[in-house]
Amino acid sequence: MRGRRIGAAAMAAFSVLGAAGCGIAGADEVSLADKDRLVIGVNKDQPGVGLRTAGGGYEGFDVDVAREVARRLGVRAADVTFKEVTSATRQRMIRGGDVDLVVASYSITPDRKRQVAFAGPYYIAHQDILVRGDSPIKNVRDLRGRNLCMVQGSVSYERVTKEKGVAARLVPATGYADCFGKLTAGQVDAVSTDDLILAGLAAQTAESGGDAADRPRIVNAPISDEGYGIGLRLGDADGCVAVNKAITGMYQDGTAQRLLAKWFSPVGLKFTTTVPQFEGCD
Amino acid sequence: MTAVHQPPSAPPPAGPIAGGPPATRPPSAEPALPGRPAARSEPRTGAARLVPRTVAGRVRVLTALIVVALAALLAVTWSAVADARDGVRVIGHDAGPQVVATGDLYFQLIEMDAQLADALLVGRTQNLGVKREQALESYDRSRRAAGAALLQAARLADDPTEERTARELLDAVARYERLAAQALLLDEQTPHDAGPPPERVLETYRQATDLMKLDLLPKAYNLTLDNGTLVRHTYEDKRDAVTAGRLWVLGTGLVVLALLGGLQLFLFRRFRRLLNPALAIATLGTLVFVGVGFTMLGGQADHLKKAKEDGFDSILALSRARAIGNSANADQTKYLLDPARADTYEQVFLSKSQTILYVKADSLAQYSGAVQQTGKENDYLGFLGSEFDRNRLPSQSQALNAVFTDYRAYQRDDRSLRDLVAGGQRQQAISTRLASPDSSFGEYDRSLGGLIKIHSTAFNDAIKKGDDGTAGWNLVIPVAGIVLVALVLAGVRPRLSEYR
Repeated sequence: MRGRRIGAAAMAAFSVLGAAGCGIAGADEVSLADKDRLVIGVNKDQPGVGLRTAGGGYEGFDVDVAREVARRLGVRAADVTFKEVTSATRQRMIRGGDVDLVVASYSITPDRKRQVAFAGPYYIAHQDILVRGDSPIKNVRDLRGRNLCMVQGSVSYERVTKEKGVAARLVPATGYADCFGKLTAGQVDAVSTDDLILAGLAAQTAESGGDAADRPRIVNAPISDEGYGIGLRLGDADGCVAVNKAITGMYQDGTAQRLLAKWFSPVGLKFTTTVPQFEGCD
Repeated sequence: MTAVHQPPSAPPPAGPIAGGPPATRPPSAEPALPGRPAARSEPRTGAARLVPRTVAGRVRVLTALIVVALAALLAVTWSAVADARDGVRVIGHDAGPQVVATGDLYFQLIEMDAQLADALLVGRTQNLGVKREQALESYDRSRRAAGAALLQAARLADDPTEERTARELLDAVARYERLAAQALLLDEQTPHDAGPPPERVLETYRQATDLMKLDLLPKAYNLTLDNGTLVRHTYEDKRDAVTAGRLWVLGTGLVVLALLGGLQLFLFRRFRRLLNPALAIATLGTLVFVGVGFTMLGGQADHLKKAKEDGFDSILALSRARAIGNSANADQTKYLLDPARADTYEQVFLSKSQTILYVKADSLAQYSGAVQQTGKENDYLGFLGSEFDRNRLPSQSQALNAVFTDYRAYQRDDRSLRDLVAGGQRQQAISTRLASPDSSFGEYDRSLGGLIKIHSTAFNDAIKKGDDGTAGWNLVIPVAGIVLVALVLAGVRPRLSEYR
């Protein structure tokens, strides 16, 4: 009798131990791979990449990529919510759990990888140069002595003047949309930043028509690799693997190529149609 | 048997007064005596009904419970040992080494492209450190090794997406080979001295190297990443299973010990025996079994952790660093080979260098300057930066310091090469590069190989300990079971025979 009581006590103690053992795995937050609803952070001010529309929705390459990834994670379109992020807020929003994913021309860097995890990159953008249709500029060296648009806070112009040591004349602007206006107005000779952003800007005029000779074009002389990653919570390795699988699938069945063509073909950007080298999730 | 042996004077009677009507007896008047049904003042309800009325019955039930609990203990031990063995097998002998082998795919592909670039760059010049024939022989060697690694990686692919990646890789290798053959043929048709080959050769080579950079290498890398995930999952699953199994062993062990103690106590109270030696030995044996099993499983979880974190993870990360370093070194050649794309190749060289060892820098010149400063290793990121943070093995820090020193020398040499080109002495730079091919890069690569070796040794040690740790348990468990059951039966048999 006593033996049985002791046995029962041991069993009880033991099931507590067992529960504690399971608790180690259960302490982690839910991986986004297992979520039924997703909140995805996107840009609101990059035409062709991530742009808030007049109707209150979002459109652009990043937004389409976000939708595709969510679909491939098994989340219905109705269960995807988009939230605006900026360069200043995206890291904090991932860490705070305000967004599950960020797809917002978010370049993967070793510094950033200490704060958030990155799936992808889903595309490797390159810093390139946008010029007027009749411009003789062929590569970054040709910018010597030319008027180059300078956006305060962006590192793109420094890559030309400092990294490449090309003595361009810098013309300040408030943003890349402003740069684009100055380019078409002839106040600057070139705008240099990520090719997808340039292509998105240029696509706006390509759609509105106009003389082909005046239409801005991309030089196609890349001077950097910017791996656009999908940001997610640090430590969610399974979520990261699942997103990578979704990206691989997008390239394998032609979805990625179709989306790139949809947003960037009109301006003659030579985009890469093969899956990028991933950063890895472990 | 024992000093206090006081057998009952007669075979146990069925009731207090032989032949007397039990119903007339006041239920709780007599003290319980051996062999008597347990006297109860209240009607037996619930679980109590399951407790037999006779002492012999109770001894039998307790014994049966002990045997069942023992069986459970052996079963959970068996399953935990199986999990531990499985984990060691997958990480140490199966997927682990295979993943490391597929990492070779990336390395060999880069080597192919680098050798092709060398062969085209050197042209018909014979008096340099690199000769066309040698470069082509190396190319073939790498091609064969890449084929073997690709086959391995394809075998490890365990879902449709990965299988498709493997198929696409196979296809892309064939396309690369065709372009490489065309470039070499064109190059032979237009003989030239060391230096950039004619434009139409370059054009074909650009197609080949673009295919390599944009298609082959990313897919090869991603496939290795997928394979690595497989190992991570196995590791996490098995390690959790072993840790949980260890708690189950402890839990069921405690149950067996409690039951044995209970039986011992019961026999003591009913038969006035201080100690039943067979049961005492069984108790001690169980204690030892549980203790050894618990410790062994803890050790196995530890070996798995060491094999994974000190061995596998570092080996994989450093092999990637090595492959990417090789590819950066090839970009250095291409920077000389293809002046029109020199800016791009220089930028790619910087970004690959930063993948290996990251310090913040706006330009390659700034980067090579920044890595020369010693004492800032703490701030390093990238593959070598994480390796610095992971410093756990003896002699690892010494080996890592050698890697840093050689990496600095390599970056210094790269700087002087680029300074020559910037000063308009491209031809001089090409001669320097080809005269002593890869001297400082070779040094760095060898140091890195040495560091990888330290982790391989740690990996092999942990796996060996893991193999040894569970060795013999296939025998220990059944033997322990037989011996313990025999002891328990031997302990209760004389008592039960007293009732016959």
